[in-house]
Amino acid sequence: MIKFHPNEELLVQYVQGNLDSALAVVVGTHIDMCQHCKAHARDIETHLSAKELGASTDFSELTMQAMLEDILNSAAPAISAPQQILDKVTVEGKQFRLPPALKRVSHRLGDWSKVPGSVWRAPLKVDDHSAVNLIYMGAGASVPEHTHRQHEATLVINGTFNDEHDRYHDGDFVFLGADHRHSPQTAEEDCLTLAWLDAPLQFTSGMARLLNPFSSLFFK
Amino acid sequence: MMQVMPEKRVNRQYMKTNSASPQDITPEHLAALLAEVAVQRSRRAFAELFKHFAPRLQSFATRQFGNEQTAMDLVQETMTNVWHKAHLFSPEKGSPTTWIFTIARNIRFDILRKSKKNQNDISAEELWPVLSEEMSDSDDEFAIDQTILLQEITSYYNQLPDAQREVIVSIYIEGKSQQEVSDELGIPLGTVKSRTRLALQKLRELITDHD
Ligand SMILES: [Zn+2]
Repeated sequence: MIKFHPNEELLVQYVQGNLDSALAVVVGTHIDMCQHCKAHARDIETHLSAKELGASTDFSELTMQAMLEDILNSAAPAISAPQQILDKVTVEGKQFRLPPALKRVSHRLGDWSKVPGSVWRAPLKVDDHSAVNLIYMGAGASVPEHTHRQHEATLVINGTFNDEHDRYHDGDFVFLGADHRHSPQTAEEDCLTLAWLDAPLQFTSGMARLLNPFSSLFFK
Repeated sequence: MMQVMPEKRVNRQYMKTNSASPQDITPEHLAALLAEVAVQRSRRAFAELFKHFAPRLQSFATRQFGNEQTAMDLVQETMTNVWHKAHLFSPEKGSPTTWIFTIARNIRFDILRKSKKNQNDISAEELWPVLSEEMSDSDDEFAIDQTILLQEITSYYNQLPDAQREVIVSIYIEGKSQQEVSDELGIPLGTVKSRTRLALQKLRELITDHD
C-alpha cells in the first residue's frame, strides 16, 4: 500500500505542464505506480480542460477559414524516431523493471557510479538545469545526514528505506521542504529510488560542493 | 446536429462560435466527429471540430503566451494534430475536450522549451505521450481489452462491419499483432488501431445488451 503521495498542487502543476521537467518525471513515475494518483490526475485533467477550453474568443471568419484550409491541406506531422528504450536497469547484479514513465526517458540515463556508503547513482539528463538521479542503496547503506536549502523529492522504485521520520516502500513519494534534515538508510533490504533536487546550481561549484558529502549523490 | 458545411454560400452564422446551440455539442457528438475524421478522413466533421475548438484554443493560448502570433501557432499546430492523429483518440481515456487540451498542453510545453534553445531537453511527448503511436496503448486500455473474452468475441464478431471484423479476427482469433495486420492488409497502423477500438466498443455494446 502506497502511503506517501504528491499533494494536489504538484499534481495540478504536473497536468498543466508547469512543473520542473525533472520533477515531472518523478511525479509521472509515481502516477504509473499509484492507481489513486492516476485517477486523481485524470480528474484534474478533466476539470482543467473544461476550464481552460471553456471560453472562446472572437476569431475572425477569414482567419479561421484560412487556417482550416491550411490544416486540411497540410502534410502529416513527422513522427520522431523512437528512442532506445530500456525495460530494466541493472546495478550491482540486481535487475529492476522500469515503470513506463522511466522507460520513455531511459535513453537519458547515464552510467552508474559509486558513492561512498554502499550507494550508487546514475544521472538522468532531463535538461541542463535539473538534477534527478536513480539512486541505489545496498542493504545496510546510509546517506550522510544532510540539510538542503532546496526542495527534495524521492520516489521509491523498489525496496525499502527509512529515515528518522518513517519507512518508505515501493511507490512512496517523499517531498521534503527546504531546511529539512534527514538521513536516509536501508536495513536488511536494498532500495532503488528516483531522487530530485531543486535548484542545483548553488552546489555545482566551489567549496560547498566539496564540503557537502550529500552533493556527491547528485553531482560529479 | 449541426448542418453540413455549405460549399459555396458560407452563411455568416456558420463561423460564429455560438452558432450551434451548446446542448448540441455533447462529448459524444465530438467523439463521433473524431471517429469520422479518423476512419473516413471527413473534412466536414473536421470543420465542425475546428469551429468548436479553434476559438477555445486561441483563448487558452492567448492567456498562456500573451502573444497573438504564438497563440495562433499553438491553435494551428494543435488542430493539425487533431486532423492527422484523430485515430489516437480513445474515449476510454477521457473526453475529446480533455484529449485536445492535452495536445495543446504538450505543444505549449515544447514551444516554451524551444524558446530556451536547448535541443537535448526533454520533450512533452517523453513526459506525456499523447500523440506517440507506440505509447498510446496504455496498460489501462490493454486491461480493458483483456476483459472481453475470446468466447464472447467469437459469438458476436459476425455482427461487425466487414472492415472491423477482418481486423478483430486477425488480432483476437489469429493472434496477430496490430503491426502485422497493418502490413498484411496494406493499411496504416493508425487505421488498424481505430478499427480495433471501434470494433471493441461495438462488441462491448453487444455483450452488455445481452447480459
Ligand atoms: Zn499516489
